[in-house]
Amino acid sequence: MGNHLLEVKGVDVLYGDVQVIWDVSIHVEEGTIVALVGANGAGKTTLLKTISGIIHAKRGEILFSGKSLTRLKPQEVVDIGISHVPEGRRLFSNLTVLENLKLGAYPSRARPLFAESLERAFSLFPVLKARKGQKAGSLSGGERQMLAIARAIMAHPDILMLDEPSLGLSPIFVKTIFELIYALNKQKVTILLVEQNIHQALKIAYQAYVLKTGKIAISGGGDELLADPEVQKAYIGERWSKR
Amino acid sequence: MRERRSIIISALVTIAFAGVPFFLNVDTSYFAYYLFLSFCHIVIAQGWNFVAGYTGQISLCQNAFFGLGAYTTALIWLHDVTKTGYYFDPVVMVLSGLVPVILAVIIGIPLLSRLRGDYFALGTLGVQFIIQVLFLKGGAFTRGADGLHLPSTVFESMKPYYWTGLFLALFATAVVYFLIKSRAGLALRAIREDEISAAAHGIHVLKYKIFAFAVGAFLAGICGSLYAWYLFHINPDSVLNLNWLFYPILICVLGGNGTITGPIIGAFFITALFSLGTVYMAQTHPILSGALIIFVMKFMPTGLVGLKDRILSRG
Amino acid sequence: MLEYLTFGLITQLFVNGILFGTMYGIAAIGLSLIFGTMRIIFLAQGAMIVFFAYISYWLFTLLGVDPYLSLIFVVPLSLLLGSGFYSSLFKEAAALEDKNISLLIAIGLMFLVENLMTVVWTANPRSILTTYSSFVFRPIGIIIPFTRLIALLMAVLSASGVLLFLKKTLIGMAVRAASEDMESATLMGINPHWVNVVAFSIGIGLAGIAGVGLATIYSFDPMYGFIFAIKALIALAFGGMGNVFGALLGGIILGLLESWASFFIGAGWADAVSYAVFLIMLMLKPEGLFVRSVQTA
Repeated sequence: MGNHLLEVKGVDVLYGDVQVIWDVSIHVEEGTIVALVGANGAGKTTLLKTISGIIHAKRGEILFSGKSLTRLKPQEVVDIGISHVPEGRRLFSNLTVLENLKLGAYPSRARPLFAESLERAFSLFPVLKARKGQKAGSLSGGERQMLAIARAIMAHPDILMLDEPSLGLSPIFVKTIFELIYALNKQKVTILLVEQNIHQALKIAYQAYVLKTGKIAISGGGDELLADPEVQKAYIGERWSKR
Repeated sequence: MRERRSIIISALVTIAFAGVPFFLNVDTSYFAYYLFLSFCHIVIAQGWNFVAGYTGQISLCQNAFFGLGAYTTALIWLHDVTKTGYYFDPVVMVLSGLVPVILAVIIGIPLLSRLRGDYFALGTLGVQFIIQVLFLKGGAFTRGADGLHLPSTVFESMKPYYWTGLFLALFATAVVYFLIKSRAGLALRAIREDEISAAAHGIHVLKYKIFAFAVGAFLAGICGSLYAWYLFHINPDSVLNLNWLFYPILICVLGGNGTITGPIIGAFFITALFSLGTVYMAQTHPILSGALIIFVMKFMPTGLVGLKDRILSRG
Repeated sequence: MLEYLTFGLITQLFVNGILFGTMYGIAAIGLSLIFGTMRIIFLAQGAMIVFFAYISYWLFTLLGVDPYLSLIFVVPLSLLLGSGFYSSLFKEAAALEDKNISLLIAIGLMFLVENLMTVVWTANPRSILTTYSSFVFRPIGIIIPFTRLIALLMAVLSASGVLLFLKKTLIGMAVRAASEDMESATLMGINPHWVNVVAFSIGIGLAGIAGVGLATIYSFDPMYGFIFAIKALIALAFGGMGNVFGALLGGIILGLLESWASFFIGAGWADAVSYAVFLIMLMLKPEGLFVRSVQTA
């Protein structure tokens, strides 16, 4: 039984009067990769936003190493050690690659380690080093995703939350991104991964949760769920379930 | 049930106001003048309320519509267009309301189809400045800075002005009230909440926005017409000045944007503040308006009307 | 009439336009910074500029301080006032979804400041007359008033200063990032109130500089502020948001437009022309003439 780095307990989230997340609880153990999968609109992005403080939960608790996150603002959540790469990347397109990375190291915990973090980022993502003076908006889709992830790890986070990193990427890049996620995890970064690409996500996940219309439908180990005919049928598709 | 009660209260209040000239000498009473001015403010404020409060389009050119209405009335009279002389004429008033509507449609089509939010507000601000310059430079037609003079011998008594003012205030409120409850009102609120979604539901967004804009213009125009009748000397400084731009905003904001009673309460309050201010603190009262807006926006963004709800919900 | 269009005249009109346009430009840069972070059109900018013009005027009239020297006092004062105003007036409103509330507070501030000045300092126009106020340079027959040239210099220097700040400092970078995507910036650990207060204070600081410039060139009265704010807005519409030198250039373009239009059709119509061009710009190219927009990542 590892250490629960992040605990989401019985969280309800509303958009105005409409409830979108119902009594959701997940745990993320230190050093693992946890996948949150489900169909479009199931509430995965909402949940990540609630953890990072952009949205506030109506009910329930979110604990990070035992400390409560529920009343914190997004910039405070980053300071504590949770980095969030949002859906669609949301890079600063008018700033250069290097400037985006510098801003990634904005939190005070990350600034003294800036030079080191930059080294690490460039060694993991050499293409970013080559393009460091270019405006972020001029990069290709795959490069942008790499920059988004690199930027997030500049903050030296304990947990990295990734929202749909494979979205809109060509199959080659998808493979690269997942290899990177795996490599990052090997470097002791805990990862909470939200994905629609269920197959890839479940392959690398230690633990996974299936979110369906705002509720946890199934949970279990990555390979468990990968082999589970329920999950296969509903989300992966008939082709795989015929194996 | 609540509706019936509001209607009864409104009727009583109206009757009370209508009865004032029987108890006071409206020609000399400052209070009657204050009421008259409040009624004018209600008309133009309801117009702005409809466009900005209910439809969400902050427009900054109601003074131009007001001024256009005033000038139209003055010009119709001076050139005896309707052949009715200087008679207190509904036809003239309606015409004075329609001219601003024409302007609203003409500028509304390009502005509303291309500009959103802040940019639309800026666009209307620009329009209003252009109108000011046009009237200033209008040559013999508008007589420039001096403006148009109408013979004040026609002014016999304040009473018709007072009652017309009351009627218009009632009319404006009723118009806005029924429009809000109509299908058009529903469409407008849908547009305010989420334009794209409204369009996706088949609501012709531009048409409704222009409609709202035109209604606001009409109300401002007839108010200007009444004011022209009252003032007899129409020039850019008196009818196009920025007070007529800011007062409706102040009134709606203070009273409660997007409500029916908000502009009414706001109008009485603001008119009182400024009337009293002009009497007792001639120069300092505009400072109050600034401080007041800041104060209200910081602590009561829903206005006086909202304040009542907040107090009630605490009790 | 056209026979008057000598080379000298054309150049003079150009020079006039550029020299005064930079004042609009500085005000526009301030507006751009404030809009970028707080997403409101700070209509009180003009009133602030006039306020600082008054400060400079009183320092000169009562204490004999040369207006350019008064910058040493005015600039820190404006930065301080800027952060003060933000913290007391705009902080909570800036966090709200409805930006109209912040806009209305700005309008309220404008009323307050303008009318306070009218009451305390009267509506009489003021101007600063120093020994060098009427000094002019005359290269190749063109008249370049000394004070306007210095104002141009101040404008270019402050614009460069702001640009350096935005490009070279971490906070400046944070301001740029927040102007593009505030939510994403908070995910970097950037505190939105910090960015807002920095941008706002610099905006007011620029108003301070423009105020001193104004005081040395023109006579001014409390109500001049509103028109100035509108002109700054027009300059911003020309130059485009988010672009420091673009805003400055926008001011120059407006200055040129006014200079030419005033000469050919008179000052009153010139204003109408400016507003008309403004409207057309808003409708055809609302992002301004100089914005080099990159598609969002």
